[in-house]
Amino acid sequence: MNNSRRKTNKTKIIQYSILIVVAIFMIFPIFWIFSNSFKTLTGISKFPPEFLPSNPKFENYVEVLKNSNTLIYLRNTLILIVGNIVGTLISSSIVAYPLARMNFKGRNFIFAIILATMMVPTVTTIIPQFIIFRKLGWLDSFLPLIVPGFFAAPYNVFLFRQFFLTIPKSLDESAMIDGCNKWQIFIKVLVPIAKPIFITVGVLSAIWWWNELLTPLIFIDSENLKPLTIGALSSFKVPGATNMNAWNLQMAMAVIMAIPPMILYLVANKYLVEGIKTSGLKD
Amino acid sequence: MKNKNYNWKDTLSAYGFLSPWFIGLILFTGGPIIASIVLSFTNWNLIGSPEFIGLNNYRALFADGSDFLNSLKVTFIFTIINVGVSVIASLLLAVLLNFKVKFMGVFQFCYFIPAVMPSVIMAFVFKLMLNKEIGVVNYMLSLIGVDNSPNWLNDPFWIWPTIAIVSIFTYSTGQMMLIFSSALKDVPKELYEACDVDGANFFQRFIYVTIPSISPIILFNTVVATVNSFNSSFSLIFPLTNGGPGSETEVLSLSIYKHAFKLFDMGYASALAVILFIIVAAIAAIQFRLSKNSVHY
Repeated sequence: MNNSRRKTNKTKIIQYSILIVVAIFMIFPIFWIFSNSFKTLTGISKFPPEFLPSNPKFENYVEVLKNSNTLIYLRNTLILIVGNIVGTLISSSIVAYPLARMNFKGRNFIFAIILATMMVPTVTTIIPQFIIFRKLGWLDSFLPLIVPGFFAAPYNVFLFRQFFLTIPKSLDESAMIDGCNKWQIFIKVLVPIAKPIFITVGVLSAIWWWNELLTPLIFIDSENLKPLTIGALSSFKVPGATNMNAWNLQMAMAVIMAIPPMILYLVANKYLVEGIKTSGLKD
Repeated sequence: MKNKNYNWKDTLSAYGFLSPWFIGLILFTGGPIIASIVLSFTNWNLIGSPEFIGLNNYRALFADGSDFLNSLKVTFIFTIINVGVSVIASLLLAVLLNFKVKFMGVFQFCYFIPAVMPSVIMAFVFKLMLNKEIGVVNYMLSLIGVDNSPNWLNDPFWIWPTIAIVSIFTYSTGQMMLIFSSALKDVPKELYEACDVDGANFFQRFIYVTIPSISPIILFNTVVATVNSFNSSFSLIFPLTNGGPGSETEVLSLSIYKHAFKLFDMGYASALAVILFIIVAAIAAIQFRLSKNSVHY
């Protein structure tokens, strides 16, 4: 008995050691962002590097936030997030509703097409999209980045459908007996119960648009319309030396961009993890 | 079980609910795919109107001095490395997350959080960490006696090991880690208990029980990761290397971007897009097969 307990303790110690070493490895880049954001450019260029800044400074943050563009980039990212969340919550839930709750001709075929379009890489459709938006005069505005959100993203339709399937059909039937039509069943019965999936899709869209790079890079030109990702890429060179990175400012900006997804993970862990898991298991 | 007597009124209202998706399909996915095919037979630099040139763009892909074959090769290498590394890393991380110890929430935070970081900031910090002169990676290597350490991001050979490491810190890895982690919880306990009775060690358990039990999910994840890697290649590579050194990491997605939006050669870029689409469609077809035949949830 004593022997086996000693064995369990030994196993535990080995397990903790592995877990901790891997955790340090995985979190190191983010630790490095935080640590270097408190160093001056000369401090960062010091070799050997300091793991924790010996003389931590907040100047980088002051400079990044004083740069009026940073707040504009942040505002633009928030506009894209809000616009896309509103668009996708409304349109994706409406599209998912018949796929999960109604029996109609062509349902399986349409669902198969939706699954197939989930796999189409954006870059294969971006050229004609660019041409359409150019014809409409929408280039260099938020429209090409927000309007498509109102036409049901396949990924989110899938998440809504999976959730709707778990709600008992008897609820729809009793609402129908009470005289509700399909639309009223959706609004009065399903939407209130489906609150968790609305949160999940909202959180996933927020993270998606916080990180999105390709489409704003192509559709946005003006400095005052750039979101954070594009703004961060084009800013923070050392003045007078266009090829040299202002590492210190980049790291402060990176901290600003790292914190919101972390907070979302911490406050909405359950929703985020479930959503990400479900969207991988297309079946 | 299926009710084949569809009510036409229901069918009509169902298609009403589906209409936003139909419009989206026509404007943003299906329509553009067809338009890409049409554009790929034209020569157009956005000025004037497209000129029909038949198969010339496709001939140009294989002409001397074309960057297409390099791009195709690079895409192939990238996909294998990116998918291979993220599948293996996510499986190992998931195994660790299934240890029966305390503080699992903290460990899951550390393992998962890189997945939801913007690729732009990961590119920033990897460029700093891997810098030849001031990078912390070369400093740590010097501590264990490696003095002549490489210029990771600017060396045509070392760029690939670099991309392999960076692939561990991607959304794909985090997502598969979560999926594997749930799958591992579903492996029947009796199988492990039988193993313990036979005196199997940790690695034997992993090889003989864990892997076979979750093999359909490994297969499935691999195919999904392959399709995803065509999408994520741009956001990983563009901020990190922009296709460099030289054109060593210029994957197809980057090449399409460059030809369409830097060189404004819309016809040629469309031909590239059509080829990429065909590759993805072929892989997706395999996936459909797999999910029908061997994967059950």
